[in-house]
Amino acid sequence: MRKQSRITKILATVIMLGVGILFITPLLWMISSSLKMNREVFAVEFHWIPEVIQWKNYKTVLTSKSIPMMTMFWNSFYLAVVDILGQVLFCSLAAYAFAIIPFKGKDFVFLLLLAATMIPGQATMIPKFMMFKWMGLYNTHWSLILPGWLSIGSIFLLRQFNMKIPRDLVEAARVDGASHFQIWLRIMIPLTKTALTSIAILAFINSWDNFLGPLIYLTKKELFTVSLGVNMYSAGADADRMHLVMTASTLSILPILLFFAICQKQFVEGIATSGVKG
Amino acid sequence: MQTKKIGTINEQKRRDTITAWLFLAPTLISFGAFVVFPVFFSAFLSFTQWDFISGISSIKFVGIRNFVKMFQDEEVINALKNTFIYTVTIVPISLCVSLVVAYMLNDKVHFKKTIRMMFFIPYISNTVALATVFKGLFRSDGPINMVLRDLGVSELPQWFSDPNLAKLPIIILAIWTGIGYQMLIYLAALQDVPTELYEAAEIDGASPLKRFLKVTIPLISPSTFYLLVVRTIAVFKLFSSVKIMSGSSSERISTTLVLEIYRAAFGEYEFGYASAMSWVLFAIILMVTLVQMWGQKKWVHY
Repeated sequence: MRKQSRITKILATVIMLGVGILFITPLLWMISSSLKMNREVFAVEFHWIPEVIQWKNYKTVLTSKSIPMMTMFWNSFYLAVVDILGQVLFCSLAAYAFAIIPFKGKDFVFLLLLAATMIPGQATMIPKFMMFKWMGLYNTHWSLILPGWLSIGSIFLLRQFNMKIPRDLVEAARVDGASHFQIWLRIMIPLTKTALTSIAILAFINSWDNFLGPLIYLTKKELFTVSLGVNMYSAGADADRMHLVMTASTLSILPILLFFAICQKQFVEGIATSGVKG
Repeated sequence: MQTKKIGTINEQKRRDTITAWLFLAPTLISFGAFVVFPVFFSAFLSFTQWDFISGISSIKFVGIRNFVKMFQDEEVINALKNTFIYTVTIVPISLCVSLVVAYMLNDKVHFKKTIRMMFFIPYISNTVALATVFKGLFRSDGPINMVLRDLGVSELPQWFSDPNLAKLPIIILAIWTGIGYQMLIYLAALQDVPTELYEAAEIDGASPLKRFLKVTIPLISPSTFYLLVVRTIAVFKLFSSVKIMSGSSSERISTTLVLEIYRAAFGEYEFGYASAMSWVLFAIILMVTLVQMWGQKKWVHY
């Protein structure tokens, strides 16, 4: 009985490992193609390993003048960081107010926000576009930064974490004369680090993945994000240069994978507790 | 003495209220600007005809004409049909696969963490890049067709231009990328199922399959329900992958409502018409949510 279950476990491992490898095959194909010459990518005789590994594809993509990938990387990167900082700051302040401070109208405001989660961002993109045009924020990164700071999901998540903090801790600090701002900064922020990390990770993924926003609000190449850069490779005349298209795709996924490799545990916990991408 | 105490309490309350609103201010300002105002403004616009470029003065009130037009617009009807097809394929298949994967990776294998990671990677990867990869994989001379050729298929499919097939790469991509997240949610749910229940079922002589169907599935139904809602709504918002994969060759075969809104607004500058479509999208999502909320009571076993 025992022996049999050990064999089943090994068998299951082999099967799942096989399925897992099959699962990431598209990505392996992408990486393999990114290191090939163009004619090799769709060659009749398919090889996983390129004839000669073409590292220069990466140099070509990163130094191309017509599609300035390095600038786009920088844009995506700093937009993600600004998005994270804004969300952590504003959502945790709002969550603190909802969880800790008693005030009139709290339930109403909370319900209002809750109901608004049903409104898809895509349904409001037209008025937002017009607003940005009128305010002169069209074709600036502000059009991505400002709406990105509002995350009702993050507020809910943080509120729940804040409510788990023992009330006595807050009360004691209040008696000692600490203001709500001090309590938020000195007690809440350190004690809800896990939740804040979750929010940060999700914000990073969403910001890096955003395509519709930059597509609508940005037309200047020097403002483009990585998603738009890959889109340029994918859609433009460059589609005939499949090796470079795959290089650009690989490059766009790389930062997220690196980030994931470094803080895997936080990633998994963060995504399990907070929302869904998109 | 008494009044003074009440006075300080009131003072305290007042200060608390001010602090709370200050803490909420950035959120509420942003909420007003990017949710409340846009919702009402797009509601107003949906009854107008406007190209935006010629300024506010050119807004023309047209009543419900946009909505009438929509239900005669082949592309919109097509988009709705497609969304229906996407929903009934992507949601159930990806949920089933995720559940099986999570069940297997819960404690039935070695190297759990490594294998889980493999399933998780597509989920965190950039959607535009993944769609680009799929565009290459499904090209007429791409690897998928090479495999089919090696398997002896004589008439290789033209994935993106054949109306019967164009949706398939999009469906597969959506299923593929969703599994990582759903697996995580299911793993968390499976870990919460008390082992005594399995043991009890085993003593009663229930087969592994029966245990899975009668113990596991009912106990994780709240997660299934949650994922059902989240995924259905995500399918209604499908955009990036469709935009990337339906290039000029496939035109609008696989279009979705969000893509049509995008095209009407930023391709043809029909802001009124696009706003009307936005409201239909909103109404559908609202309906789905309400139906599922109602359904939750019926079939979720806690």
